[in-house]
Amino acid sequence: MTPRTLNREVTVRAAVIAALLAVALFVPPAMLGGDWITTLTSVAIYSVVAAGLVVLYGKVGMISLGQVGLLAIGTWTATRLHYLLDLPYPLLMLATGAITCAVGVLIGLPALRLSGLYLALITLMGAGAIDVVLHTLDFPNGGGGFSGHQGIIDPASLQTVQRPSWGTGDTAFYRYVVVICALLFLVALAHFVSKPGRAWAAIRESEPAALAAGVNITLYKMWAFALASFMTGVAGCLLASHFGNPTVGSFPREQSLTLIATALIGGIFTLWGAVIAGVFMMLVPFILQTQWNVDSNWLLIIFGAGLLQVLLTAPGGIAQQLPKDLANLGRLLARPFRRRPSAPEGSA
Amino acid sequence: MHNVIAFTVFGVDWEFFKPYIVLGLALGGAYALSGVGIVVLYQATGVLNLAFGAVGAAGALICYWILNHTSWPGAVAYASCIAFGAICTFVYGVLLGPAFARRDPLVKMMGTLALALILLGFMAWRAPAGGAFNRVLTLPTSKHRFELAGAVVNWTQVLTLVFAVVLTFGTALFLRHTNLGTAYRAIATDREITATLGVPVRRVEASAWLGSGVVCGTAGLLLADLFTTLDYAALTFLVISSLAAALIGRLRSLTATLIGGLTVGVVQAVLTPYESLTQYRTAAPFVLSIIALLWMGRHREVVFSKTAR
Repeated sequence: MTPRTLNREVTVRAAVIAALLAVALFVPPAMLGGDWITTLTSVAIYSVVAAGLVVLYGKVGMISLGQVGLLAIGTWTATRLHYLLDLPYPLLMLATGAITCAVGVLIGLPALRLSGLYLALITLMGAGAIDVVLHTLDFPNGGGGFSGHQGIIDPASLQTVQRPSWGTGDTAFYRYVVVICALLFLVALAHFVSKPGRAWAAIRESEPAALAAGVNITLYKMWAFALASFMTGVAGCLLASHFGNPTVGSFPREQSLTLIATALIGGIFTLWGAVIAGVFMMLVPFILQTQWNVDSNWLLIIFGAGLLQVLLTAPGGIAQQLPKDLANLGRLLARPFRRRPSAPEGSA
Repeated sequence: MHNVIAFTVFGVDWEFFKPYIVLGLALGGAYALSGVGIVVLYQATGVLNLAFGAVGAAGALICYWILNHTSWPGAVAYASCIAFGAICTFVYGVLLGPAFARRDPLVKMMGTLALALILLGFMAWRAPAGGAFNRVLTLPTSKHRFELAGAVVNWTQVLTLVFAVVLTFGTALFLRHTNLGTAYRAIATDREITATLGVPVRRVEASAWLGSGVVCGTAGLLLADLFTTLDYAALTFLVISSLAAALIGRLRSLTATLIGGLTVGVVQAVLTPYESLTQYRTAAPFVLSIIALLWMGRHREVVFSKTAR
């Protein structure tokens, strides 16, 4: 491939993404009702959380089963900061992202020593501990002290977590969330195509080889955890504003299982997979339940079966499998119409 | 509560803690039971079964249904819980075990996560939690109580602890002194070489799945009783607490798993009387297993082959 064709490919890809972004920004608000818009907001937020997993597992090969716990920490932090300080919204997002990032790096520290199964287990245990602590502290609702939680709610002090000044309505907030999520995806993409991305790929393929090639493994592993946690933290802040009054019940325990299942089914190696994961996690249950009146618990069964299929036959998930399958299908359909290659003359 | 703290700082007050230790041992027995089931399967097949809790919970729900919606005798209900655990685990192992056999332990674990999701979906669909009533599954042994060291204990708790101890030492003896046990240990060391030596590897692995499934069904039955309400989500995620016991045993030693399970149970129970800590006591398994994991990973190793991870 010459550099010129490569450039053209990148341009086409960027144009397609920009067009899709424009569609996401303007088509749903014009065509769909309010409950659709709130659902799509969650889709955008959860796709960022899944993108964190793409960074950790897809790019570096470190699995974390505690991303939902981290998301809960982000939401908690944003809520607490909202009651504590009067920050402009972008600063609130950045502060939440920074604090979650610090917690995530702390959880990721053992990753320097542990890998594979044991790293997965330690993040699972970390998530369990976070769950217990959050159930005890509960989410801030205007009280004092560290937890900011009051048992008997004083209606005067109860607020909903602030939204950005030009995104107070549901539709405006949806657009704001989509733009922020697109920016976070861009940040991740910028990492993938530059030096950290190459270092991560080296670590994923072989840690000893990366070490021998002079890759600073400690730095780049921590960097991956920091990036994934920052993204998850910002997503948590958006989620706090989305819920208004987040509670412990907003983060059911099976969500950490569905997140990892949908991220793998969507495709753990690309950011498209993260978007598909968000759709599977939030939009599909909504459509099943409210539009078709189907028990959404069926989805858990389908996720389980899909996870098995991804693990056994299609490691790239939908994001990589679908284009392949579509190309095969196209070839199959085109076969009857294609002219048969005539036998070369004079071969007899 | 100040006097409690004073006592513990200047010498442990055993009288005060006795009832909590007794209760903790019963709880720890349940953790140890599941932990041993997990460790044996991990050693024999390399699969860390995260569906252990979900399978047990589904078995307990079936048992509950038989007890409350049919006129069949109780023994059938209890047996069906154990049978479900055995069959479900066995079928998974026989169908999918070979497909995952050469994969990374992490991928094997994710496979059981898929089984857990499928079972969770079925349970949430057929037996939604909450609502007007709580399901309660009481074993006949729970009706007989007696007092021990200031704590009221029922026979189910005693049974759990005894079963955990018997299972641990029974399995240890089995691994050491029978042909099948030797085959397990050989597979744990190297599956390929064991197969070359003429051991029917798949059949041995299938027997490990079956045995682990029986333990799983039994643990589901006992835990459903010990936790007073039959909440399938809580039972499913209880596997994470049981993993603490297995991790303290480094996923290898059965005796250490037993001790680990009992320790976790006792620590969790002993924290109960402290006002400031009592709400955090359920985090004890997680904290202890994080410490165990960090201890296991204290030597940095550079791993050269992907399968060795």
